[in-house]
Amino acid sequence: MALLEIEGLSRHFGGVRAVSDLSFSVNEGEILGLIGPNGSGKTTVFNLVTGFIRPHAGAIRLDGHSIVGRRPHAVARRGIARTFQIVQPFPGLSALENVTLAAFLRHPVRQDAEAAATAELKRVGLAERLHEVASQLTLMDQKRLELAKALATRPRLLLLDEPMGGLNATEVDVASDLVAQVRASGVTIVLVEHVMKAIMRISDRVVVINQGEKIAEGLPAHVVEEPAVLAAYFGKRVA
Amino acid sequence: MTRRLLPALLGVAVLTAIPLTVRNSFFLHVCILVLMWTVLGAAWNVLGGFAGQVSFGHAALFAVGAYTTIILYLKGGLAPWWGIPLGGLAAALVSVPIGLLCFRLRGPYFALATLAVAEIVKLVALNWESVTAGSVGYLITTLPPVRLLGVAVNWEGKPPFFVTAALLAVVALLLTGWLRSSRLGAYLVAIRENEDAAEAVGIDTVRAKVLTLALSAFLAGMGGGFYAFYFRYVDPDAVAGIGLSMEMVFIAVVGGLGTVGGPLIGAVFLTAVAELVRDRFQMGHLIFYGLFMMLVIRFMPEGIWGRVRRLTTRVRAGA
Repeated sequence: MALLEIEGLSRHFGGVRAVSDLSFSVNEGEILGLIGPNGSGKTTVFNLVTGFIRPHAGAIRLDGHSIVGRRPHAVARRGIARTFQIVQPFPGLSALENVTLAAFLRHPVRQDAEAAATAELKRVGLAERLHEVASQLTLMDQKRLELAKALATRPRLLLLDEPMGGLNATEVDVASDLVAQVRASGVTIVLVEHVMKAIMRISDRVVVINQGEKIAEGLPAHVVEEPAVLAAYFGKRVA
Repeated sequence: MTRRLLPALLGVAVLTAIPLTVRNSFFLHVCILVLMWTVLGAAWNVLGGFAGQVSFGHAALFAVGAYTTIILYLKGGLAPWWGIPLGGLAAALVSVPIGLLCFRLRGPYFALATLAVAEIVKLVALNWESVTAGSVGYLITTLPPVRLLGVAVNWEGKPPFFVTAALLAVVALLLTGWLRSSRLGAYLVAIRENEDAAEAVGIDTVRAKVLTLALSAFLAGMGGGFYAFYFRYVDPDAVAGIGLSMEMVFIAVVGGLGTVGGPLIGAVFLTAVAELVRDRFQMGHLIFYGLFMMLVIRFMPEGIWGRVRRLTTRVRAGA
């Protein structure tokens, strides 16, 4: 059985169908790339899965149990963590305080939470920045912090929303390695990303959506050659 | 540890010394007001300072406490020292449905909703005459006789009220201190900093806010209960007016949002300003509150306590 199953998921905003009858599943231990042109509904899918918005139709199951209608904190407790496309730190707090707040979810005692948070910050390469205020960190470091925060909730499934957006080529390689390492530690990952180099390198499978509907699914190298995908990205004439 | 223990011991010593030594009853009255406002400022600070949820309606919770205490005494014969904590509990109970409703809104919309709630409570107090005696209000003529250590307590003097107010203020500051170091306190800071991010890392933001509002209401309700006990008169204008809500905001902001000692400092300033100008103006003190608050927000947004703390840490770091 898949770790996450999405079936017939739909959500519209007014007349705009952001996600429409979308179905796919995520297998335990894989990195699934979720790609599509701007405005195709990728972030909405994340918001639906994590409970920030409610679907109008469809099912979302984690380990076979429905999580539709649960609020974000409850979804996090069940083991789904996310990062945001635009980083969402607690801006006035230090890196350590940021991650400690997330670690409280599994460690009620402050000392334990701080220890766990320190470990996560080391893992993402922020060991030297523990006491720096989040809003003062560079974008790359804020993205690392975002990841550390998500990891500190000890997720089984991690949803990464454009973790490499705004990074330079070297930073993209570092970030890709980091994501691969997180998967190796036993966390299943769904990766929304525009940086195709990263998607091609680290995803096991790719789901392509356009205007809220799935238009292709499969191995990265195969998917990018499908006519429907080319049409969505470049227009029909190219395809 | 000694850094916290020392000021606490000093505070207790001062609080014990004042009623034993001071004979000037006006000064004692001012001290009682300071302590009462400390409780109310702390009540507002818990929600507004720590959790960043700005309420313009805390007078509603104060009113629930005041009415509970005075009605329990006049109609049920329950002495105010039982009535005050029960007033706090009643306010906490009332705050839960209010919180569940208002916390669906964020930022300025939440603030406006609390304003509306306070107005509703005032209208209920005015019109539900069978319970609240409407605009006539309630008056306590005599307090129950009590003997403490063989001595009859003199309810016409100030010392017994001072001791009660001091106890309430200590409870309020201890609760705030506990909150700051607790996990709930950390969650509140997370909510203040970024509510979506807080939810995303598994913090039940609604539960944390409702709990905090209940705590805040408990303190505000006890403050209201004390008011009824001390001033012996409760009517809708006195205990449910918007001015009261604003004064709580004033104390917390001037003293220092999200600090433990801030409300005490804010209360000292508020009471001092009020008493200094009260002779000359009827309502003039409100103008001075406003002016003072603007100055603090412009030049000292972290409040007096926050500024002092920053300066002392800088001196320590420099030394």
